Amino acid sequence: MAFLNWLEMLPLSVWVHESPSIWAQPTVMTLHTMGMGVLVGACWILDLRLLGIGPSVPLSAYRWVFRAVAIALGVNVVTGVLLFMARASLWGTAFPFAIKILLVIASAATVLPIRTYVLQSDPGQTGVSSRAKMLAMISIATWAAAITSGRLLAYTVAG
Amino acid sequence: MPSITDVNVSHLHLISNHIPTIGTVVVLALLTIAFFRRDENLKLVGLEALFVVAVLTLPVFISGAAAFTKLAKTPGVSQTAVRLHQDVAIYGFIWLEFAGFIGWLALWGARRHGRASNGLTIATFVLTVMSLIVMGRAANLGGDIRHPEITSGTVAAIAPMDFLQAKISNVMVNSPWAWPASETVHFLGLSLTFGVLLAVNLRILGAMKKVPFSAVHRLLPWGMLGFGANIITGMLFFIGQPKQYIDSAPFYWKVVFLVIAGANYLYLTVFKKAWAGDDSPDWQAPVFDKAMAYVSMSSWLIVLYCGRMLPFIGHAF
Repeated sequence: MAFLNWLEMLPLSVWVHESPSIWAQPTVMTLHTMGMGVLVGACWILDLRLLGIGPSVPLSAYRWVFRAVAIALGVNVVTGVLLFMARASLWGTAFPFAIKILLVIASAATVLPIRTYVLQSDPGQTGVSSRAKMLAMISIATWAAAITSGRLLAYTVAG
Repeated sequence: MPSITDVNVSHLHLISNHIPTIGTVVVLALLTIAFFRRDENLKLVGLEALFVVAVLTLPVFISGAAAFTKLAKTPGVSQTAVRLHQDVAIYGFIWLEFAGFIGWLALWGARRHGRASNGLTIATFVLTVMSLIVMGRAANLGGDIRHPEITSGTVAAIAPMDFLQAKISNVMVNSPWAWPASETVHFLGLSLTFGVLLAVNLRILGAMKKVPFSAVHRLLPWGMLGFGANIITGMLFFIGQPKQYIDSAPFYWKVVFLVIAGANYLYLTVFKKAWAGDDSPDWQAPVFDKAMAYVSMSSWLIVLYCGRMLPFIGHAF
């Protein structure tokens, strides 16, 4: 708790939380939402392909997804940390927030084996293993759950 | 001195309120002529026109709600007449958006299979007829607001809570879960739309060159699913709490860029150039298509920015 309070009192945290500037909390939140759109959208596109949308397209054509995911994940980790710091004592002790973070980690964890699978696919390969299909289904569900739990934080914790 | 925004929005409604009725008449005429001439291209033109009308009906509805709050303070204007007009307009909006969605599906299928499916085209035609009937009634009731001399009789008194708008608003504001749940669906929908347009636009800009454009094109209905979910939830917010939005500058920018993004969606669905290109890795999309890809991505980013900034710039909440 002392750590959380210390974190919250850092000048950067105070600025994000209390500055009336449009560049503080509003912009950080907006970037977090944009990152979410790119991150989850790109993941879902690949998941849909693995589940059979556009079955004639080789898996190797989807490599761009991982670059988009990496950039968006980077944006959201940075903005997420800033938003956490701004109200560290609130988020750090909230059970719904822990659920959200766990869901984000679980979702990101599904991307890693999918990434390995796609990067190691043969040139021109279009078939998808049942394990990859299972991963894609889990990925779609966990990302949806992560967004849901995140959006509801405004009502369950900060409301 | 009256605010320029208020004047413009009421004017905008008075000008644009003709779009849903006259637009659907034009669409029905095009589809009918196309049917008798067995003209496939004219049929596609009709479906494209319907999509444009459906997208433009969004600002018509929004400006109408803004004009309503302006009129509410005017003596001699019957609240009942205005709210009756608004209620029928909500139904008309639903019919027209649904017609536009089915028409879009027919267009999307036409790009893939060479011709629009008869079933979808007939369904679109019937839905457009329904839209015209309901929108026509809404237009009629709208005319009664400022022209009481042409009404057939006095409007029967209606209890304030019996209006559809009041019922929707009641659920959205008083239910503990309706607003949060709609917001969640809104966020899921934006991710879906964003992801699909990212794939389509990156393909046009040169990524995934080995993939035929037709394969990426298959994703578009998933994006439209997200778009549709967001139109529905967005309208629930707007109908639920119109006063939060109608004085908010970023909200108007959001609607403007939604219209641009909608037009862009249509372009991505029906344009021919990328389809005509061969699928060799050296093939480059024409400059205009690339420009459209940038317009598409930036207009969606602006829509998202304006939406997320509503509480901060427009103080909508």
